[in-house]
Amino acid sequence: MKGQIALGLLALLTLIGVTVAVTLGEQNRMTEFTRAYEARAIEAGATLFEDSCRPCHGPQGQGIEGVAPAINAADLFDGSRLAKVGYGGTLPDYVRGVIAAGRPVPSVGTTYPQRMPTWGAAYGGPLRDDQVDALTAFILNWQDRALGTGAPVPTGPTVGADITVALPDGDVARGKSLSEGVLGCASCHVLTAVGPKWPADAGEPGIGSRAETRFQVSGYSGQATSAEQYLFESVVMTNAYVVEGFQPNLMPQNYAERLSAQDMADLLAYMLSLR
Amino acid sequence: MAIFRLHIPVLDEVKRKGLRTALNDKWVDVVTRVTAGLNPADVRGVLRDDPPGRPNPRLTPHAEGFWLHMKPTYYHRLVDGFYPSFRLGWLSTFFGVFEILTGIYLMIYYTPSPVVAYEDMLNLMSNVPFGQLMRDLHRLAAELMVIVVVLHMLRTFITGSYKKPRQFTWATGVILLFVTLVLSFSGYLLPWDQLSLWAVTIGASMVEAIPPEIVGRNVNLLVRGAPEFGANGLLRFYLLHVVALPLAGIVAFGVHYYKVIHHGHSLPPEGEKVGEDTAKRVPMDSRVYFMPEILTRELWYVAGLLAVLFVGAAYLYNAPALEPHANPLITPLHTTAPWYFLWLQGLLKIGDKVIWGLIIPGVATGLLLLLPYLEVGPSRRYGDRRIGLSLAALLVAAMAVLSYMGTPHYAVSTSPDQEAVAELLPQTHPGPLRSAPWDDLAYGSYQAAAWSAAPNATLQDLLQRYEEVLTNVQSAGRADVAGLMVIEDWQTDLKKVTLRVTWTNTADGTAGEFSQSVYLHRDGNYGQGA
Repeated sequence: MKGQIALGLLALLTLIGVTVAVTLGEQNRMTEFTRAYEARAIEAGATLFEDSCRPCHGPQGQGIEGVAPAINAADLFDGSRLAKVGYGGTLPDYVRGVIAAGRPVPSVGTTYPQRMPTWGAAYGGPLRDDQVDALTAFILNWQDRALGTGAPVPTGPTVGADITVALPDGDVARGKSLSEGVLGCASCHVLTAVGPKWPADAGEPGIGSRAETRFQVSGYSGQATSAEQYLFESVVMTNAYVVEGFQPNLMPQNYAERLSAQDMADLLAYMLSLR
Repeated sequence: MAIFRLHIPVLDEVKRKGLRTALNDKWVDVVTRVTAGLNPADVRGVLRDDPPGRPNPRLTPHAEGFWLHMKPTYYHRLVDGFYPSFRLGWLSTFFGVFEILTGIYLMIYYTPSPVVAYEDMLNLMSNVPFGQLMRDLHRLAAELMVIVVVLHMLRTFITGSYKKPRQFTWATGVILLFVTLVLSFSGYLLPWDQLSLWAVTIGASMVEAIPPEIVGRNVNLLVRGAPEFGANGLLRFYLLHVVALPLAGIVAFGVHYYKVIHHGHSLPPEGEKVGEDTAKRVPMDSRVYFMPEILTRELWYVAGLLAVLFVGAAYLYNAPALEPHANPLITPLHTTAPWYFLWLQGLLKIGDKVIWGLIIPGVATGLLLLLPYLEVGPSRRYGDRRIGLSLAALLVAAMAVLSYMGTPHYAVSTSPDQEAVAELLPQTHPGPLRSAPWDDLAYGSYQAAAWSAAPNATLQDLLQRYEEVLTNVQSAGRADVAGLMVIEDWQTDLKKVTLRVTWTNTADGTAGEFSQSVYLHRDGNYGQGA
């Protein structure tokens, strides 16, 4: 009987341990799941677009002359189309509303022969609410490319995620302009404290000096053996090691496919120059 | 005159006996009331496994209290071992209670309507703390419960415990088995995804076959609430799942357990003479008292099982990932019934729906229910029941074979194009293409036959599987079957993957084509549990 009591207590402790472990991971799990299902909504929206919208709006939403307007277009995302039709709400609401309720009245200045039909079940259409939401998510995902601010499409081979690869000589000035321009590093690493700040500030040295020692600290979980490799790794494998005080998963994880070897060399040269 | 006088009796006691004595008396009083008859010294004696003393105070809670009134005060030493019960009845009860508790948690976040049920599931997974854990626990325990209940019945048959005077206990047990299976089955529909809809559609199509046609049609309407599953069908299955079946189960369990206690746990067949039932006459030296031995063991079992279930649900087992939203217009390739009904699906493949899907299972269920009234041989000894035990072994083997026949591996007509596409892109679970690392899906167009030329191992593996199914699944009348995979950049972080199979029809030399596309987002994360 003593054995059973001991086993029972052990089981109880295990139960408490598992519950605590699950509790600690729960916030992350829910965030992960949300991220995944938002992504899957875009996937579902793409299928719906292909089945229902493509015939009039074109396979990539670029519109068909004389049939239906472009959706994958800058004026939808920069606000000018909403201003033109006098819509005061947000873009997602506008898109969702137009899909669900259709456009019974043509916009001023358009002469399309057919009206946009109603798609939402609430208005007599075939799609459930979650399908209208999925379509909206898919359409809004055109924003980067429609505005021309998306990632530059690499013209040659990309640098990849191997941090030991030999890089060409870097150009500090070009690295600076890359980081402040299309790559969008500055929005998180210079002006705000979302990610580790690059320039020296309030007695703390710049990212170049900090990189010299960071890969040698205890608890470092990456593979780098030099300052250059450490920064390389931070760019292409953003979660290999997350500096204490910052959140994982915030930084885009696609730089390995967005940067050429020259881009990476320039970027590293610029970062290392910030002492 | 005071309009109200506060009277606290314990203060009078304190005045009369002094603080220490009064509080101690109160403590003894409270413990005795809570335990329905044991004072603190008795409780200590139970915990220490001291001899009980005479008269045995540990019997009082069985006489006075509600919960322990249901439990016997002592058991026969012969049924206290792991054999002959294997604790299967106890386990069934444990899982039943566990399902009610986890089910209530899930019920709080669920609405039985096709408009929101699926979104409620997504919300449960993304926004409810412990939502996924509870879903996994509920599902894991449900699967285990089906297994345990079936084994319990098998054990009862093998030890001959269904024989006189326990015939009715067996019959209520068969009802409980039925309730367990239908409970599990009705829960399948509730997430309202493709798996739910189609697995349940297969099961429900059975009732449609009931002859004559007018009966089948109307019973089908009664079950589904409409010719096809929709808002009414979901609501009906929900009400079955959370009200009707649990209620029926609790009533049947009450009778079942009452009968078990009333007749006593049957001894192992070799423990008594043929034709005698001595379970209720337990000699003094063979008694194992509930307190403390059985109680301690049951408490440790509860703690141990909970620990196993939680570890299992948190780290080892995931309830099936949610599939796309239920869609009555898209039938997934290779839909199967839940595993415990695969034997039925196997029977249906043999022949006529009415004979194999209704009459044979119906007769089998009836025979099972009436077994103890038909098989009335007096001996429970294994040696005297060779025919019965052999038949049971045959039946188990037959169920295994039928279950295999119920899977898509057996007698399903199919074509290589659909098979090959479903191999990479199944409609009932994520499958290899959706789970493949997104970055490895390099843009381009790839021939399945030239899989070894693909730029990375992931693509090579996918294309090789694609090619294998195309070569292995034979089909008459087709030549030059070839597979193609096209990966395009579709949007920011979104790729379009198209699988296309082309062939030449040998009969007339015309070309045939089948293709299917899927869009994959960088963050789709199909590798995770849900």
